[in-house]
Amino acid sequence: MLSHLTPCLGEAPEGALSHKILIVEDEDSISFALRRFLSMRGFDVDCASELEEAQALVAHVPYAAVVADLRLTCVHGAEGLEMISHVRKHAPGTRTILLTAYGSPEIEAEARSRGVDAVLPKPQPLGELADLLTALVEAE
Amino acid sequence: MSSPSLLDVLLRPGSLQAVFQPIFALGEDRGVRFVEGLIRGPFGTNAREASVLFEYVRRKGKEVEFDRLCVRQVVASAAGLPAGLGLSVNIHASTLEYDRSFPDFLLHLAEASGIPAPGLIVEIVEHGQGFSGAGFSAAVRSLRDRGVGVALDDVGCGQSSYRRMLDCQPQYFKVDRYLVHGCHGDPRRQAILDSIAGLARTFSSRVVAEGVERTADLETLRQLEIDFAQGFLLAEPGPASWLAVWSTDVSGYTPAISAVAAPPE
Repeated sequence: MLSHLTPCLGEAPEGALSHKILIVEDEDSISFALRRFLSMRGFDVDCASELEEAQALVAHVPYAAVVADLRLTCVHGAEGLEMISHVRKHAPGTRTILLTAYGSPEIEAEARSRGVDAVLPKPQPLGELADLLTALVEAE
Repeated sequence: MSSPSLLDVLLRPGSLQAVFQPIFALGEDRGVRFVEGLIRGPFGTNAREASVLFEYVRRKGKEVEFDRLCVRQVVASAAGLPAGLGLSVNIHASTLEYDRSFPDFLLHLAEASGIPAPGLIVEIVEHGQGFSGAGFSAAVRSLRDRGVGVALDDVGCGQSSYRRMLDCQPQYFKVDRYLVHGCHGDPRRQAILDSIAGLARTFSSRVVAEGVERTADLETLRQLEIDFAQGFLLAEPGPASWLAVWSTDVSGYTPAISAVAAPPE
């Protein structure tokens, strides 16, 4: 969970429109890879490893999209669903994607009921995730 | 081995930085009267910005522990402040309610650093924590009886309600920047500011306008007879050593001071 200790790498290519994205993920390696790849695709990326950290950021930073892992703890958590609800309530214009390695029709239905824009399985090809993010934020 | 949580990082000794922002009198006797001690989170973290830092701490339910940490940092860093300046510290209302020994803690800390109680102002911040108020009222009374000033933060916005005004009877009303920014040319904002100034006079209190960023707004505040102003137009927050420039010759303040910027934190 080093995401809060690493400096921002979100440097967009010169001249590109930089959408601000929040990654909510507790696994350092995944968070690092997402930040790195999405930064190279021109997004301005913040990362948070805890629900409260992510909620605090959403309260004060205008994000174009939030990508949240379903589970931020090693137990049977569903913080990702809480995050979707939080974003819908506090930043209704922000697009949301839920990532999960524990997908089920019930989880997807619950996420949909909370207003998620997309539910994707983990692992997810980074290129496809970036394409979806681009489509979501530029549809605004 | 898992990495430390953000909270663990924040609670490490030395992780927080204190900076100070001067507050200027706007009446005839112009100059810096006191400074607000502000906290910045660790560099390179999401909590560097105070708004995110404190939102996170509140969501973790750690206001009491964190307020003590912040006050300790602010008072320690205030050692380099010019003599005679009052020092304002931010405290959650919930801390005053639940941390019964907080007044003693603050006064002992200040005394050990050579800051007299009358030179302290407790700036009460409220963020929707519901409580009965008995502990809060006792804490405010204890601070006031020992000579500490009391200020109510974010007046006009957030949770600083009329009830809280009655509960703590502040010597200072700190008006939220939302009401100050753009008050020049906005009769509705001016009406609200005038109303708060009138309310403050009834309480025998003084009004501090926060977030002053435009010369035109500053002039409007003067015309409305607001007592004090604080904001980037006048001075950015900076380390205590930098504030030595205000040491004695502050009575001749003019808005040209806005050209003075703080060094990098």
